[in-house]
This record gives sequence, structure tokens and C-alpha cells, in this order.
Amino acid sequence: MAEVTWRNYKENKNSRPAPLKGIRVLEVATLLLGPGGPGFLAKLGAEVIKCEMPPMGDTLRSLVPFGFFFREHGCGLTHPNLGKYWIGLDLHKPEGQKVFRDLAAKADIIEENMRPGVLEKWNVGYRQIKEINPGIIYISKNGYGQWGQYADENRPSNDGGSQAASGFAWMSSFPGKPPLKSRLYVADAYGGLMGEIPVLAALHYRERTGKGQYIELSQTESLMRTMSWVWPYQGITGEPAMPSGNRDQCVCPADTFRCVDDTFVAIAAPAPEEFKGLCTAMGKPELAEDPRFKDHLIRLQEENAVAILKIISEWVRTMTFDHVMSLAEKHGFAASEIRSAKDITEDPHFRARDYITEIDDPLDGPMLNYDFPVMMSKTPPRINWSVRPVGFDNEYIMAQVLGKNKEQIKQLYECGALGKWADVKGRRPASTWDGKSGLILSREPGYTDGGRGE
Amino acid sequence: MQRQPLAEWVRERDDPKIAHSKPEALDDLTVLDLSYNSYGGCYCSSLLSELGAQVIRIEPPEGDFLRTCTPYGLLYKNEGLVYLSEGRNKFHITLNLKDPKGREMLKSLAGQADVLVETYHPGVMDDWGIGYEQLKEINPRLIFASISPWGQFGPRSGSKMPDYENIAQARGSIQYATGEMLPEGKTYDECPWAVPTKAGPWISWASAGTFMAAGILSALYYRDRTGEGQALDVATAEAYANFDDWGVLIYQEHEYIVERFGSLDQGAWIYCFAPTKDGAVFIGGLRLEMWQAFADMVGKWDEWGTADFKHLGDFMSKEAQLKWAPLVFAETRKYTTDELVAMSLKYGKEGRLAPITPVIAPVCNPMEAMTDANWVDRGMFIPVDDPVYGTVVVVQSQYKMTETPPRVKWVCRPVGYDNDFIYLKHLSLGPTRLKKLREAGVV
Repeated sequence: MAEVTWRNYKENKNSRPAPLKGIRVLEVATLLLGPGGPGFLAKLGAEVIKCEMPPMGDTLRSLVPFGFFFREHGCGLTHPNLGKYWIGLDLHKPEGQKVFRDLAAKADIIEENMRPGVLEKWNVGYRQIKEINPGIIYISKNGYGQWGQYADENRPSNDGGSQAASGFAWMSSFPGKPPLKSRLYVADAYGGLMGEIPVLAALHYRERTGKGQYIELSQTESLMRTMSWVWPYQGITGEPAMPSGNRDQCVCPADTFRCVDDTFVAIAAPAPEEFKGLCTAMGKPELAEDPRFKDHLIRLQEENAVAILKIISEWVRTMTFDHVMSLAEKHGFAASEIRSAKDITEDPHFRARDYITEIDDPLDGPMLNYDFPVMMSKTPPRINWSVRPVGFDNEYIMAQVLGKNKEQIKQLYECGALGKWADVKGRRPASTWDGKSGLILSREPGYTDGGRGE
Repeated sequence: MQRQPLAEWVRERDDPKIAHSKPEALDDLTVLDLSYNSYGGCYCSSLLSELGAQVIRIEPPEGDFLRTCTPYGLLYKNEGLVYLSEGRNKFHITLNLKDPKGREMLKSLAGQADVLVETYHPGVMDDWGIGYEQLKEINPRLIFASISPWGQFGPRSGSKMPDYENIAQARGSIQYATGEMLPEGKTYDECPWAVPTKAGPWISWASAGTFMAAGILSALYYRDRTGEGQALDVATAEAYANFDDWGVLIYQEHEYIVERFGSLDQGAWIYCFAPTKDGAVFIGGLRLEMWQAFADMVGKWDEWGTADFKHLGDFMSKEAQLKWAPLVFAETRKYTTDELVAMSLKYGKEGRLAPITPVIAPVCNPMEAMTDANWVDRGMFIPVDDPVYGTVVVVQSQYKMTETPPRVKWVCRPVGYDNDFIYLKHLSLGPTRLKKLREAGVV
């Protein structure tokens, strides 16, 4: 039956509306935490208008990991920003604030990640916007929240600070070793997603009542919430929770092991049948009946867990990776290779599901990226285009949403409220750009010539 | 007009301490959570229950295996600690889905529900006659949410391999590229900690649950407009992988595979954890001036030629970072964590480049986090007064809302605790009828 539901999902993605069709989102955000959430909403079909400070735009544009560019912009820019509309709007200027307020009157959701109070100073804070649009759903995301000691101190915050302050990094290291930072900006990425839960719930509440509201998310608190047992454990024992490397303290056995060929394999086999299967695979079926290991709760006790993991570890050291995997299939325990970005990119399963999806972008050309990881049978999320230079969609948004004519738009450029990219790599279009591709509305020279003549 | 300070205005409206006095965003919804041995499923329904949805957890008569997943086998009042946190606000009933009568009862419940969450392998629900295609005939408004290892379709969807947090983390590309680098000339036997390292917390399952909650709420919005329900499909192997920001891009463009880089950062300098006399700090500076301020702060302005630093890009390459990191760490090791934090604040006031200063934050253990006055004040660890388990500390919701704040009303329930109430409320099964079903092994 599942075959019926999901038949030709990839091929039919565009035959249905995306779920948030008709929702308009304004984004005033930089780096990853702020843009990530609206990025998800764009994949879910919302019209997301990203407002950048011209001419340099989002600081994220400077994030060029190990110096790797992607089609002449920083590799970091793409992931949280696919499928958005891009305007260069200076919110320091009264005329820019007016444009934003006009857009806000026609918006459903506003997302921002400036320091507390900055948008209010620009006359576009929640208290000001709700006067013109009481149904607005307005979320602020940052490291420490909107009130409390750290907010009062106006502490700067970022992903690494949140990994450190939440205890997440501490819990992710090997015992006795220095705490380990994730390869991910995990506080940004997860916080960016988490904020959309209250936003979407608020949308439902607005459908029911007409009321909007203000939401705040601290990315540090967001990571804390994922740490589940840690808090009751500390509350009950009075002791700090301790890290345990790749071993899972709550599931036994569950760890990463090294094979004879120095490749790594993750194994888990806690449930009775799985554990029996693993013991059989190891040629030691009697271990499944060993009083130290028979019951999961007893097996989890420190001494027993260490003992069984040592046995498994020594066994895996004699095995090739392929052999472990085939035994896992045969005996019903869980095992996986530790997959790299290459494995993910080339994974035929992900391609068949269109999870790794091909975008055919007028500026960036053909490219692969992750689609939204929820397949929806009636309203498939999707990515239509890539990222844009600063202010690339100014003309379209001004005309389409605000009905401004050529002369009015020109005035906005003249007073500096609207702007386009600086002549800097990652801000400007790629050198291969033909001056037209991807422009939605205006294809004539003059006020659309973004290069600022530099 | 003099405005009330923003922080005060917000706090008056979204402080968790007054959450109970406000309405709930999802209190018109009924959610059936059939998840089994899946933190992802439980976490997903927790996010909905915190917002007021009536979540009915449906466990097999022996209870969910997840209840036995608890650190070191520790039980509190006969309950595992993971479940103690993630049973929040839910009603707990038992139902034997292997029994045809049990499946009929599930259909009746589904006829009254808005959302169903399940985590069985693809095809299991279909075989039981309670898959999406079957239940939508009963309830076309139903949002049917499936979380599974590889998803409902695609070449690997038929795999029967069980799913666990460490397995899902391995399947993303994150564990591969997280961890200490093997020191030159050393072996794994000498440095068993210099290996691909997973995150300690169950972030992979949490991601799957959170993405699914976002999918459910998006589907709910669509249903609010059209009346139409649908099926949703999350693969745990895909959810956490989604947080990879550039691995796929760099690989397709440059055939470069992102590898482990310790607690340094491939995308930024100076942006790392650094050892101190008594622990570690995070040092964060995304601008050249912040890096210069750091060098100055530790007294290396002249020796490092800091005044001549021109471009941050000169420090971002792998080689440059590996050259500079030991020099930085040698300095940070001279101070305690607290001293370094104080130094950065002082530098921001009096330093040569003030107000520019590097961000320096202590790397906390979770006990320090839990007792930090800031988080306590923000209501993150308000103890829950539970009728069964007494006063228990769990972490509160991840966000704050002015109109419909989330809340935790109770933490957990023993297996089948709410059978009497829920079966009476939804299926009109009073004590006499329920007794028979219990005896027949159906509930």
C-alpha cells in the first residue's frame, strides 16, 4: 500500500501545491541560525523575502570553508538560503523602514536574528509591526533569548558559544579528553529548524483565532532540549552527566567499532532478538544468556556494558567491514558504515527519493542539494532555485508586492533605501552571468545595473 | 511616548512561569503516537503535546522498549530516564495491534484523530490493515506521519534492519567529519579517541522528530485550508544529514571530502575550542579585528606581528589553522577558564582595539548549565510536579511564545495508565467491557 501512496513521488513533485502556498515571510537575518528557518519555509512553499543590508549583504557570504567557492560564491551561503527572493534594503534609513513596513503589512511571518532591540530601533520591531498587522507571527532567534541576565548584558552569541554553554559539546567528547566541537554548526542548524515549530503552530492558532504573536528562541536552550535524560539524571543523582565518546550510555550495545582494515562500523543491538543475533554472529550465543548481559537494564550497568563492548570490539577488530554488515543483515542487528559527504552525494537511495535533488538554476547552473527531509504525499516540498546576489530581486518585489512603478523604485535607489551588490566576489553575480538570467522582472539596463559602476 | 523596555514587555508575556494562564495553540488536535522503540517518534509527539495537543501514546501491552533505554540502566520509580522526559503531557494506553480486534479499535481511534505518528518498518502498518491508504478511507483528514530508517520508498526502504540513534548518526555525513584528527605518526590503538565521533545527545532522532513535527504542522495548515489530510515520510538517515551545510556542495564541485578537524573550524577563524588550565573555552571571532584582539589580549601583539595581519583569509586554510592553533592553545593553557572570560570582557573595555574583543565562553558541563542562574531564571529547568513521579527536573520547551506558550503538565505515565479514561472517552468502553478486552489480551 505504501507503494501506492508514494508511487512516482519524484516525478510528480510538481503536480501538487507545496503546503505553505500563499504564506509570505520576511527575513532580516544573517549567518545560519536566522536564515535557516525561513529556508525551510521556502522549501515548504512559502514566499520568503530575504532582506539584506546593501551592498555587502549577509555575513554568511564571507563563509568560504577552506577557501572553497561554489560557482563564485561561498559554499556556506547556499544551504539555508535556497528558493528565496533577495532584496537589498537599508533598514537604517527611514525610507527603507517604510518599505519594510509596507511589506510587513502584507506578510504572515517575520523572522529575525539581530541582537535584542535592534529591529525596534529601526521601527520594525514586533510592537511596531503588530500595530499595522495584528495577525503577524514574529520570531526572534539568538543565543541567549530576549530577556534574562545574558540578554541584559547584550552578550554576543554564536553557534560555538551555544554548543559550549548548553553542555552539548561536553556530552559529545571522549571521557578525560577535551570537549569536542561538532563539525556542524549544530546549534544554528537545529535552532533554525526548531523555531519553525512554534511559528507553524502559531499559524494554526491564527487560522483559528485571527491572532498573531511574538516568539523567541534561544539556540542554547534549543540544544538543551535535545539532551533528554541528562537533566533528570542530574536532578536525581546530583552528579553531572558524563560523556562517553561513541558509546551510547542508554542503549547497549551501541558504539562505533574499528574493523581489521581500519574502517569504522557503528553497531547497535539492545533489543532481545537483536542482541541474540549479534551474539550468534560473534559465535558466542551463550553470551545472550549470560546473567550480566541477558536483560537490557542489567547490561546497561557500567561494568557489564564495558565488558560486552570489549568483547564486541575485539571481535570486530578481526572482521572486515563487509563481513560485519552481511552478518548484521543475516542476524537482525543494526550496523552502518560511517558515511562521508561523498557517500551521501552519490547515494542512489537518496537520489531515488529525490532527497538529494538536482536544481537547475539560471545563475548557478545544475547543482545537487538536500531537499526538505519530509516527503509529503499531497504537498511535496521542493527547491526551485539557488541563491542570488545582494538585491537581485529588488525590482520584482517592489513591483509585484508593493506595486511600485519605475520612478518610485528609482527614488528608493537614489535615497539609498534599496541597493544592490558590492563588486566583491560572493556578493556580485558570477563572472559567467549574462546580465539577464534569473532576473524575474526587469531586463533593461539603467537602474537595474547592479555593479554600482565600480 | 516612553515605551516599556522590550525585554520587560516580552517577559511579561512569555515567561514560562505564567504559561498556564494562556491558551494553547494545538488544543483542538488529537494525536495518536504508535511509535515503538523510537525516540524520534516520541520526541515528535512531545513537541505537539507541549503545544497543547491531546497525544495518546499507544504501546503494546508489555510497554515500549524505549522505557528500558536509560543511562547505566538507572530507573527512577521504575521508569527509564529518557522516557521520563519524553512521556510529557501524553496519555498512555496499551493496545495489541497484533490482535485483529486491537486493530479495529485502532481504526476507531484513527477515525477521531487528526494526526497519527508511527515508526514501524514500511509495510508493517499496511499488513495490519491500518496503513495510510486504509485509514484515509475512514478519515480523509488524517495526517499520517511515518518515521523509519530509510523512508517509505526508494531501493533501501525494504531493509528490516533496526534503527538506533548511533546508526542514524553514522548514516549522515556528520559523524564522519567530527572528531579529533589522528596525530601524525600515531595509531588508533594509541589514540582511540581520535576517531569519527558522534554527538552524545540524541540529536539525530531529535532532528527526525522535529522535522516530522514541522511536516505535520505544515500539513495541518494545508488541511486547515482544504480539509485534506496526507501521508508524511521521514527517514532518520536523511533528517540529521540535512544539517550538513556544505559537504555535498564541496564534494560535487571540488571532489573534496570534508574530514575531521578536531575542535577547529573549516569555515572560520578564529572559531574553536581551546584548552585552559582547568577546562576549555570557546573562542569566537569571525572578523580579522577579533583575531587581532585575541592576539593582543594574550600579549602577542608584537611577537606575532599582529599589526600586519591583513586578511582573515590568510588564516583560514587548513595549513594555516594547523600552524596557528598550537600557538593559540599554548597561550590559553596559561589561564583558567574564568580568567580568559574576564580577560575578554576587560579587553572589550580597555584593550587597544576595544570595543572589539574576541568572544570567549566557558565550555560547561551540563550540571553547570543546569545551575546557571540565567537558564534557571528563564524557566528552562522548572521542576514538574507529577502526580505519579513527584517533583522531577526535565528540560522545558525550546522556545517562548506570547499568546500560546508551550508547557509541561506532567512528565510521564506508567504503561497503560490512561486506559480507563481514554477508552471510556473515545470508545465508550467502561470497566466491564474493558475488563473483557484486557483478559483477551487486546489491551
